[in-house]
Amino acid sequence: MTIPTARAIVIGGPAREGKPGAWYRRRSTHNSIILNAFLMLGAITMLTPFVWMVLTSLKSPAELAQFPPTFLPEEWVWSNYTEALNAAPFGLYFRNSLIIAVSHTIITILMGAMAGYALARIYFRGREFVFLAFVAMLMIPTYTKIVPQFLMVKFMPLFGGNDIMGQGGTGWLDTWWALIIPGGLSAASIFLFRQFYLSLPKELEEAARVDGLNEFRIFAQIYTPLIKPAIATVGLLTFQESWNNFLWPLLVTRSEDLRVIQVGLAVFQQLDNTQWQYLMAGTTLATVPMVLLFIFAQKYFIQGFTHAGIK
Amino acid sequence: MRVTPRIRSWTGLAAVAGLVVSVAACSSETASEDTDATAGGDSSAAASEISGTISLLTPIFEGTPGQELLEDELLPQFYEMYPDVTVEVDYTTYGNLNEKLTTAVASGLVPDVMMMGVGWIEGFADKGVLADLAPLGLTEDGLKEVYTDSIVEAGMWDGDVYAVPIMLDTRFGVARMDILEEAGYTEPPSSWDELVEIAEATTVRADNGSLDRAGFDMMSLDPRQAFEVMLFSAGGGLFNEDVTEPVFNNEQGVAALELMTDMVNTYEVEDIGFASPDDIVNPLINGRAAMGIAHNNLWTQALEADESALEHMEPFLIEGEVPGMFFGGTLATVSSNSSSPEAATALLEFLSSPDVALAANEQRGNVPALTELLESEYVQSNRFVQFALENLEYAQREGGPSTWLEVRGDFAPAVEAALLEQKTPQESLDDLAALVQDAINR
Repeated sequence: MTIPTARAIVIGGPAREGKPGAWYRRRSTHNSIILNAFLMLGAITMLTPFVWMVLTSLKSPAELAQFPPTFLPEEWVWSNYTEALNAAPFGLYFRNSLIIAVSHTIITILMGAMAGYALARIYFRGREFVFLAFVAMLMIPTYTKIVPQFLMVKFMPLFGGNDIMGQGGTGWLDTWWALIIPGGLSAASIFLFRQFYLSLPKELEEAARVDGLNEFRIFAQIYTPLIKPAIATVGLLTFQESWNNFLWPLLVTRSEDLRVIQVGLAVFQQLDNTQWQYLMAGTTLATVPMVLLFIFAQKYFIQGFTHAGIK
Repeated sequence: MRVTPRIRSWTGLAAVAGLVVSVAACSSETASEDTDATAGGDSSAAASEISGTISLLTPIFEGTPGQELLEDELLPQFYEMYPDVTVEVDYTTYGNLNEKLTTAVASGLVPDVMMMGVGWIEGFADKGVLADLAPLGLTEDGLKEVYTDSIVEAGMWDGDVYAVPIMLDTRFGVARMDILEEAGYTEPPSSWDELVEIAEATTVRADNGSLDRAGFDMMSLDPRQAFEVMLFSAGGGLFNEDVTEPVFNNEQGVAALELMTDMVNTYEVEDIGFASPDDIVNPLINGRAAMGIAHNNLWTQALEADESALEHMEPFLIEGEVPGMFFGGTLATVSSNSSSPEAATALLEFLSSPDVALAANEQRGNVPALTELLESEYVQSNRFVQFALENLEYAQREGGPSTWLEVRGDFAPAVEAALLEQKTPQESLDDLAALVQDAINR
């Protein structure tokens, strides 16, 4: 039996003289060069703003004023970093942001995975309706939720001097509760977890039940270890969103002790005047945790994105 | 005798307190009791009777330098006068002040003392959030004795005083005299015709037509504020006297926007996108513009970026039918439901007193609202601030209706539509006026 070569199928003409392997290698190399050129272009496009930010953070105000702008700093002004750090208590802000981001990530992974599992694998009346409600929540713009959320936090019963009806005090305002609980779980994370749990084979669950595992152990020991990419994806997205959150922490806190890093960066952007060298220095430092987190979790993160079809 | 900051501070406070006493005599009995507590011979005894914990929401004094100034230098002076009052400060930014105030109002937790911008007072006063300051001793007539009329009016709504100014942000023309002199001009323009002539003469384009130097930069400023400067210089205003309808689409308004449009499309002294408010550096600093409309803090920006540019920069009023200058600023208000109105009023008076206001302005490079500060060392050392203070009589503000914060965002797209020739200036302003009228009628 003659097996048609890929070349014959692709080209549709008679096979060429010479070794087919060499032709494949040449073509493969050619494709690889084009692909890498495109990827490199994409990488440069993505990296340029980041590199520009770092370089801007190392220039003097006089150099920033030059036109055309210089690419590399004529003088590397490392003191921008120390001066930026002295402009606000960034150590405290950094700690607060870390506490909030880690708390949000843990809550989201724990609760989101459970909710996603329930919506994907446990049959109950109204399950589809609940799922649709979560999908609907994805469409509500953040800004429209701020005032209702603020009121819920302020009128939280039995906190901050409030009575059982939520009156008389400040509720959760200016406390860690306000910073951690309202942003602790998102509909998007539940949606993502559900999609991952749905993709796993039902046979695993059936085998586990035959072996006598209860629902929680099936969730915790059978299915959840198989969705590490989902956990990495949701975890990173949650951490990033929480780390970059600015408005909510600003609204619900008054004490300096509870302010976060993004609020700290805002001091460099005064009305009609931005101190770019300090803003860029502060922003560069603020991106470090996200970059490190991505480097360590990128394998799972990429798997998660490709698996969920998020591009 | 050398007037130290501390002496000036107490002198200023005494002046404000004296004003409070004189006005309070005409006010209600309760008000009289309140204001007597902050003034007169028994001031220290009365001040000690004022007590309570009050909150202050401020979009200024941010960052470590601002906080150190407020908490380490200024508030200790306040505590010396009012030892039983405690101030809890909530720092925010202007960019998020509206959200902060809106959520505070919605939840009923309105700070006792709030600082807000020009054009903000009307909306919050109309909602009943702000306290009328007249019963607390601060009246229009009294304030007009120490501030320029238009600045006092920026803190008023419906005939009542709701705010006292602390600092001003002004916008006026700035010329790079080295560039003008190269082109044969020794003075900044004194009319629109001269403005166009000099702008054309100083515009530089490359061989391929790209703009190397703008003759007159309007793009580094928010389009709304740039239009307002031109509108005021055309002799126009934003609203009619009783603030029931917009008038910026009248003859003067159209002339102002036509001039801006012509500058871009006919005289080609600046291209769309040549500069923007978010640019790292203002083109006047590095010589990419010969003239422009600029904020007074251009002086401090240039001081940091290129001090040598300062000797070439000359401020000027853009003169059409009248000299035009725009002012915004920060004003202090008291909550209408403050649990300690006396303490809140005392803090407001303290923050607006000459020396405290001067320190706040110096920290941000802004213009003190008090005319008496013209001779202060800070004002004399900053030519743009000095120029603004000397010409405050020409300054006009934005705002007017209680819905100003809702509609002000519609100005930029309308101005841009005219600059891009998507609409004629008349059409653009008419459409904008219709939007604004709808908001007023709601």
